[in-house]
Amino acid sequence: MATTTATLSLSSDMLSSPISISASSTLMKAGVTEGLELIEMGRGTIAETDGSKTAEFGLPTALGADKAAKLFLVNKATDPTYYIDIDLHDTNIGRLYAGDWMFIPWGMNDTASELVIEAEPSGATCPYEFVLLQEPQTLEAHS
Amino acid sequence: MATLTPTLTLTSTDATTDQLAFSVTDSLTVKAPSQGLSTIIVDTTGANNIIVPANADKQTWVYVRHTGTTDGSTTTTQHCDIELTGDVAIGTLKANEWFWFPHCGNGGSTGVQLQSVSGSIQMEYGYWSDSTAQ
Repeated sequence: MATTTATLSLSSDMLSSPISISASSTLMKAGVTEGLELIEMGRGTIAETDGSKTAEFGLPTALGADKAAKLFLVNKATDPTYYIDIDLHDTNIGRLYAGDWMFIPWGMNDTASELVIEAEPSGATCPYEFVLLQEPQTLEAHS
Repeated sequence: MATLTPTLTLTSTDATTDQLAFSVTDSLTVKAPSQGLSTIIVDTTGANNIIVPANADKQTWVYVRHTGTTDGSTTTTQHCDIELTGDVAIGTLKANEWFWFPHCGNGGSTGVQLQSVSGSIQMEYGYWSDSTAQ
């Protein structure tokens, strides 16, 4: 069984009593104690002139409902004004500025869960990197 | 101004022959409003469990963790959905899993809410407003 562990550490000086949080979890398939086995990693670049695009990691696969997937995405731009808008299909859910990253559980079930990215503002170009961990897919018959 | 430093470490020694091991960090300048580490007992109606108030244009960093319990002591394996207000699902957390996300209402005036698939779940959460973005 594959065992992949994701750990988040948070620290801050914003309070007189410093924040220090650590959370760790083993990434499992849905409903069973078996680890996620399919790992895709890669990088790409999106420019503002590209408009909104479904990134290579953003197309929902035919996993069906109630399957587990985790997505890590980082904006590798260095200009602090450049950001990547994150949409679930037609709904904007957040944005990553230069150097920012996210780690989310992704319900990649159908078209409505398509993950779309868009570089902003005008003139922006954002390199990005991603890791997608998911359950194995059913192999297709050859054509 | 204060600095919030999130670090992700992703490791596996047996998922693939080539071992997975990387760490990424960020440095965020944050300000009020913020919500320090808190807990909430989540039920099956998302609108009852809004953890980040609706806003149109704030960049807000959100941390959520499933404690694996209903009340801090009783174990549960029920899943918890993470949604934008208005019931737009982003994903589901299983017991002991966590989430780190840059929420932005982006003109839509949305917040973040939690919804148990079944029964009650004690969730841990916090959020911090980004002072440099928007």
